[in-house]
Amino acid sequence: MGHIEFRDIYKSFGPKHVLRGVSLNVDPGEVFFIIGQSGAGKSVLVKHLIGLLRPDSGRVLLDGVDVTDFKEKEFYPIRKRCAMVFQNSTLFDSMTLVDNVALPIRKHRDVTVKEAREMAVDKLRLVGMHTYAERFPADFGDGMRKKVAIARALTLDPEFVIFDEPTTGIDPISAAMVDKLIRHLSDNIGVTSIVISHDLRSIFGIADRIAMLYQGKLLLDGTQEDYKNSDNPIIQQFIQGQPEGPMEV
Amino acid sequence: MSPMHKIARTFQRPLHLLGDWAMGWFHHIGGLGLLTWQVLVYLLPWKWNFDGPETWRTMYRVGVKSFPIVVVTAVLVGAIMVIQSGLYIEQYGAHGLLGWGAGYAILRSVGPILIGLMFSGRVGANNTAELGTMKVTDQIDALRALSIDPVAYLVMPRFMAMIVMMFLLVVVGNATALIGGALTSQFLLDVNMVLFFQSVVTYVLLEDLMHGLMKSVAFGFAIAIISCYFGLQTSGGAVGVGRAVNASVVGSAIALFAIDYAITYAAL
Ligand SMILES: Nc1ncnc2c1ncn2[C@@H]1O[C@H](COP(=O)(O)OP(=O)(O)OP(=O)(O)O)[C@@H](O)[C@H]1O
Ligand SMILES: [Mg+2]
Repeated sequence: MGHIEFRDIYKSFGPKHVLRGVSLNVDPGEVFFIIGQSGAGKSVLVKHLIGLLRPDSGRVLLDGVDVTDFKEKEFYPIRKRCAMVFQNSTLFDSMTLVDNVALPIRKHRDVTVKEAREMAVDKLRLVGMHTYAERFPADFGDGMRKKVAIARALTLDPEFVIFDEPTTGIDPISAAMVDKLIRHLSDNIGVTSIVISHDLRSIFGIADRIAMLYQGKLLLDGTQEDYKNSDNPIIQQFIQGQPEGPMEV
Repeated sequence: MSPMHKIARTFQRPLHLLGDWAMGWFHHIGGLGLLTWQVLVYLLPWKWNFDGPETWRTMYRVGVKSFPIVVVTAVLVGAIMVIQSGLYIEQYGAHGLLGWGAGYAILRSVGPILIGLMFSGRVGANNTAELGTMKVTDQIDALRALSIDPVAYLVMPRFMAMIVMMFLLVVVGNATALIGGALTSQFLLDVNMVLFFQSVVTYVLLEDLMHGLMKSVAFGFAIAIISCYFGLQTSGGAVGVGRAVNASVVGSAIALFAIDYAITYAAL
């Protein structure tokens, strides 16, 4: 349980070829990082997993089940098992924070509205946002919204979680807290996580395995050690954050 | 480029634009049809799918907040109808027909269409902007990612609320327009208010009222589907939201007149 496979995924938007044959395997319970330049197609790739985007060719497998040709309706049960934290948080701004988090509980669990809200406050406590439960998303900056989005994604106790840049725009303390949470989900609950990140501290802090996308293809799939020891100049440039080098921008 | 080529290009260009324009229309008509179909399916008792809290929130926002503006518009419409017909009424001394003239026009057509246009400008545009902003900020995808069907969660409540509220607003609008007409006839034309109402009650048929109310339901239906559709298909950031609102208001207006024409014609 908890295995994810991308098999030779191609995806273009009009003339723009974003993914050009990406294959990845994520093992159960792993914290799997995807890194790469802005525009490399990281967000596009992970959206294929829950059917928000469909590949031009290639296959997506979840626990060995080929979900590539699933209809929108058939994806709904999968999305309950596989949660996603979007890059820009995507809280519903017509609702308070607690209603945001309570929404999936209210829709998918057989509980009263009151119980759903209590459960939501518990989830908010997990990310330290419970004191702001009755405020609206517009009152907060990126960092705090992202924390609430993480709480919302965890409400249905998913087996897989996709975190799209969970620590971008967050202060270092909260970022460390988020990293710890991701590690905890994997180590103690067996959640499989895919984390998209530019944050070198997270990458070299909690990653079990790292995949780097470059020009629509997989450049390297390996452990932290593999990356540190890699003699590929592009990888070295990226993980050291050098402004100049062989990488094409 | 050869001169022939240039000439060919000059002729091709309008055709090209015409083609693009037609494609755009067909695209939207197809999309509207699809959304209507989905909504109708969710209305089936065994597929019944919509969200309670979201429906109440929308009802309040759509209806309660529109009442003041509808009342003001309706009073003025009633007054205008009476002043306009007053000219002829005076000339022919047919004071007893004033209520009939104004009431007939208001109930059958003028009331529903004007309130419909107000409704589309206020509620429809607002709705398209809200859904459009949700779309371009990925909130619609976020709903899908939470296994919540955007049509069931967002469109159904709005659909129900808009039809119910459009109906109620037309009922209230009709009443206030008649009151506005009566007051105007009393104080501006010196035609007794009682005579005005007697004329309405005697000559205006229940069928006239029903005719207008039927239109109001059809208008609510159209505005709901059109404003939701253009909201949900928004793309391209803030500019895209502007474009979507524009398309929604124009589309609704065209639809209202087309429906008004069709129903009026069918009832002849
Ligand atoms: N719906 C879409 N329509 C058209 N182009 C798109 C769409 N989604 C993504 N793209 C394009 O695909 C490319 C990859 O986008 P993506 O969001 O996956 O990048 P990313 O690797 O996540 O970058 P970042 O680190 O900035 O988030 C971009 O050039 C983007 O313009
Ligand atoms: Mg991204």
